[in-house]
Amino acid sequence: MKAEDICEFVLKICKNEGASDSVVTVAEIEETMIRFSNNEITVSNSLKDASAYIFVADRERKAGVGVADLSKKTLLTSARRAVASAKRAPPGDVYAPLPKGPFQYDQTALDQPKLEMEQRELVGFVESAIDAGLREGAQRMAGSLIARNSRVILRTTGDVIVSARSSSIEISVRAFLSSLASGHSTAIAASERDFKPEEVGAEAGRFAKASANPVDGEPGVYEAVLGPLVFSDLACQVGRSASAFNVDMGLSFLGGKIDQKIASDKFGLADDATLKGSYGAFPFDAEGMPTKRTAIIENGTLRSYLHNSSTAKKFGTESTANAGLMIPHPFNLVVEAGDKTLEDLIGSVDKGVYVTNDWYLRYQNYATGDFSVIPRDAMFLIKNGQIEKSIRELRISDNMLRILSNVSSLTRERKWVKWWEVEVPTLSPSVLIDNINFTKSSM
Amino acid sequence: MIIDTASKYGARYSEARYQSDTYESILLKNGTPEMTTFDVRRGVAIRALVGGGLGFGATNIVTKRDLKTLVSRVLRLAKASSRIVKTPISMGEAEIGRGNVEVKSRIGFDAVSMESRIDLLKEADSAGVESAEAIGVKLPGRYISLDTLVTEKLLMTSDGARVQSTIPKVTVDAFLTAFEPQKGTVQRMFSLGESSGWESVEKWNLPERIKKEAQILGNILIAAKPMKGERLDVVLGPEVVGIISHESSGHPGEADRILGREAAQAGETYLGRDSIGMKVGSDVVNVVEDPTIPRSFGYYLYDDEGVKARRRYLIKQGRINEFLHNRETAHVFGVSSNASSRSVAYNREPIVRMANTFVEPGDHKLEELIEGIENGIYVKNFMEWNIDDRRFNQKYVGLEAYRIEKGQLKGLLRNPIIEITTTGLWSAVDAIGRDLEFSAASCGKGDPMQGIPVWTGGPHIRLRNVAIGGIS
Repeated sequence: MKAEDICEFVLKICKNEGASDSVVTVAEIEETMIRFSNNEITVSNSLKDASAYIFVADRERKAGVGVADLSKKTLLTSARRAVASAKRAPPGDVYAPLPKGPFQYDQTALDQPKLEMEQRELVGFVESAIDAGLREGAQRMAGSLIARNSRVILRTTGDVIVSARSSSIEISVRAFLSSLASGHSTAIAASERDFKPEEVGAEAGRFAKASANPVDGEPGVYEAVLGPLVFSDLACQVGRSASAFNVDMGLSFLGGKIDQKIASDKFGLADDATLKGSYGAFPFDAEGMPTKRTAIIENGTLRSYLHNSSTAKKFGTESTANAGLMIPHPFNLVVEAGDKTLEDLIGSVDKGVYVTNDWYLRYQNYATGDFSVIPRDAMFLIKNGQIEKSIRELRISDNMLRILSNVSSLTRERKWVKWWEVEVPTLSPSVLIDNINFTKSSM
Repeated sequence: MIIDTASKYGARYSEARYQSDTYESILLKNGTPEMTTFDVRRGVAIRALVGGGLGFGATNIVTKRDLKTLVSRVLRLAKASSRIVKTPISMGEAEIGRGNVEVKSRIGFDAVSMESRIDLLKEADSAGVESAEAIGVKLPGRYISLDTLVTEKLLMTSDGARVQSTIPKVTVDAFLTAFEPQKGTVQRMFSLGESSGWESVEKWNLPERIKKEAQILGNILIAAKPMKGERLDVVLGPEVVGIISHESSGHPGEADRILGREAAQAGETYLGRDSIGMKVGSDVVNVVEDPTIPRSFGYYLYDDEGVKARRRYLIKQGRINEFLHNRETAHVFGVSSNASSRSVAYNREPIVRMANTFVEPGDHKLEELIEGIENGIYVKNFMEWNIDDRRFNQKYVGLEAYRIEKGQLKGLLRNPIIEITTTGLWSAVDAIGRDLEFSAASCGKGDPMQGIPVWTGGPHIRLRNVAIGGIS
C-alpha cells in the first residue's frame, strides 16, 4: 500500500473501533553515513526504512503502537490493538481533542529538494574535510557525515492530511595534533548547496594546532568566552527544559518561572521550525499543526514553554505546535545574536577562559539547574585581552540559571550546531559569561 | 541468500543479522498514567568487507528484491570507502559459534496485562508519596516507567557463524523530586533491569523500594549537612562502584577507542595499545566484564559477530589486563576477539561495547570497611557524574552520604564531591567488600547513538585519603 493509503486505512479502523482521536504517521527514510578516523574511512552505512506509528485516544485514555511491517494484516491488527489498549488504559490527567484542521501549510516547506546522496560525492565531502584539517596542521582527523532524505505522511481525526519531504546533510569533525591537543567543528544544512565540509575541517584543524602543548588549568571563578559548540549545548538544555512535559515532571529549571526574569537582558532564545532552508525546519508537528516561531526567552524573561495540545490544556494555554504526541520538543533553536565579534569578547577579558567545545553534561538537580560539564578540545587561558596559552583538565561546575544571568555579550556571527552532544539544531553565537566556576580533579 | 550474494560479488567477509525488538512501555507521571506504548522494530542488517573497506546497511523492507538491492548498495559503499582506506580492514580469527540461546521466562510478559502493570506502578507511587509526607516532605515531580523488551536475532556470517537467540528484558526507571519549602529540592534517579520475564519485577518489590527511596530522599532534604572540602577516607556503595567500573575501567579499555574509531563522538582513552600490564590501581583492584551472567541486563552468550562470550578481567591486581575487542580491533592488536561486538537494533552496526562491568568482590564485610575509618564518609549513591572523553578526569557527586567518625556511621551529608583522576581513584582503594549488587543502565556510544543495556556494579569498596569537595 502507498503511505497515503495506509494512513486512510488505519484511521478508518481506529474510528470504527471507537477511538475519539487518532493520528497515523508513516515515515520513509533513506540515510547514508560515513564514519572516518585517522584520516581514513572506517565504515559506510546505508539505511532504508518505512514504518508507521498509530496514536489513539479514547478521551483521557491513550495508547500508541509502532509498526514495522506495513502489510494490511499487520496494520489492521496494530490499529485494533491500539484502540483496545487505549480503551482499557486508566485515564490520564487531561483530555485535549486533537487540533482541528484542515490547516494551511507553507507549501515550499512541504516539498524540499532531495539530496542526490551519490556515494562518490559523499566520500568527496569527507575527503575535503580531512584534507582541509591536515592542511591547517592537524595530524589526524575523525568524524562522521550523515546525508538523509525522508518523507513523513500524517493523517489525523482532526481532518489533517499532510505530507512533507525533507533532506539534510551534516558533518562532525574532530582534528588532533596529539592526543591532548584537538579541535572540533560541525556543519549542518538542508541542502548540498549550503554545505561546506572543508570549512569545518579547516576550523577543527586550526583549533587543534592552536591548542598545542596544553598545560593543566587552575580551578577558580573566571570570565569565560563560550564558543558556539558550548553555548548551543546550554541553549539546547534550555530548549529541553522548556518542554511543558519536563516542567510538569520536575525535569526542568524553568518550572514556575513564566514571565519571570531568569537571564540577562541580552539573552533571547526562540524555537523556530519555520526558518526557511535550515536543517531543523519542518512544516507541521506530530498533531498536524503548522509549526511556528515561539519565543522561549525574550530579553532575559521566560515567555513560554513548548506545548502540544495535552500539555497546553493542562497549563491553561494554547499549543505552540511543538507536539511530540506525548512530549513536546523544540525543532530548531535560535539564540539571539549580539553585536560583538569574537575578538571583542576575548579582548574585553582581563583573566578568563575561552572554551571551544564541551561534553557530558549532567545535573545534580534538574529543578535548580545545578550541573557540570567537561570542556573538550581546544581551551585557552585569556590574559589582558589576549589568548595566553592552551589549557586543559578543567570542568565547568555551576548552575544553568546563574550562567544565563551572567551572559554579558554575544557575537553577531552565529553558527548552526548539531552533533552527538547537541541533539536539537541550534543557531548560537559565541557568548561572554561574566563568571563561571571551573573545578579540577585534585589527585 | 544475502551471504551467498555478497560472496558472489566479491565480499571477503559478510554477515547478515535479522533482529526483531518488541517493546511494551508504560509511564506514570506524578501518579497519572501517560500513553501506553507498543512498538516492534525489526529488519535485516548486512555488513560486508570489500577491498579493505567496510560497508553496513539495514532495512525493514524485507522482500527478496529489497534485500538484494541492499546487498548491492552495501558492496558499493564498502568499495567506495576503500578509496581512502590505507590500512585494509580485516576480521580476526575468533571462536565462532553455532547455537541457539533462549532465556526462558518463568512468568511471560503476556501473562501480565498493561492495566495490572499500571496498578503496580500506582501502588509504588502512592507508597513513595505517603512515606515522604509522613516526614513532612512533598514529592511534586516524579515518574516511574516500566518497559519490557523481547529481542529475537538470527546471525549468520560468511565464515560459519550461525546463532539464534531470544532474550526478554525488563526495566524500571524512577525519578523522584523531594520538596520542602524551607529546604528546596533534592532529586534521585535509579534504574533496575534484568534479562528475564516478569518474575524480576515481582522480586524487585517496587512499592517497598520506592517507599524507602522516597523516605531517604526526604531525610536527605531535611537533615543532610553541607561539608567542607577535606582529605578523607571514603567507603563507596555498589551503585557508585558500578558507575566507576563502567566509566573508568570499561570505557577506557574499549579497543575501538584506543584506535581512535570513536574520536569524534564518545572520545578516546588515556590507555594506549601498549598499556597491557600498566599499573593503574592498588593490588586489591580487579575489574571484571562478563556478558554471561544469567539474568544480567547485558546478557549474551554470542556477540553480534557470532563470537562466543566469556568473562574478561579488565583490571587484574591493579594492572590493565585485557581490552574489549571485536573481530576488527582484535585483528589489529594481534589477539582473538573476546566477543564485545554488540548492536542495539537491526539498523545499527555492531561496535565494541560493554555488557556487565563490576569490581570483583573481596572478603570484607561492610561493617569492617567502616570500622577501619577514623574520619571519613560513606557515599551510598549519586546523582551527578561525568568523565572526560579520555576517561581520566571524573566527578561523582554523592546523594545519600554519611559522615563516618571513629568507625561509626553518623549523620547525613549534603553532596560530597569526588573529583579525581582514574589512576588516583583506583590507586586509593585499600579494601573490597564481599557483597555484590548491580544497577541497570543504558550505555551511550556510537553514531548514530546506540544506548545499549548494561549492568554496572560491585561491592562496597574503601578508599584512603581522598580529596573530597564540599558544596559551594
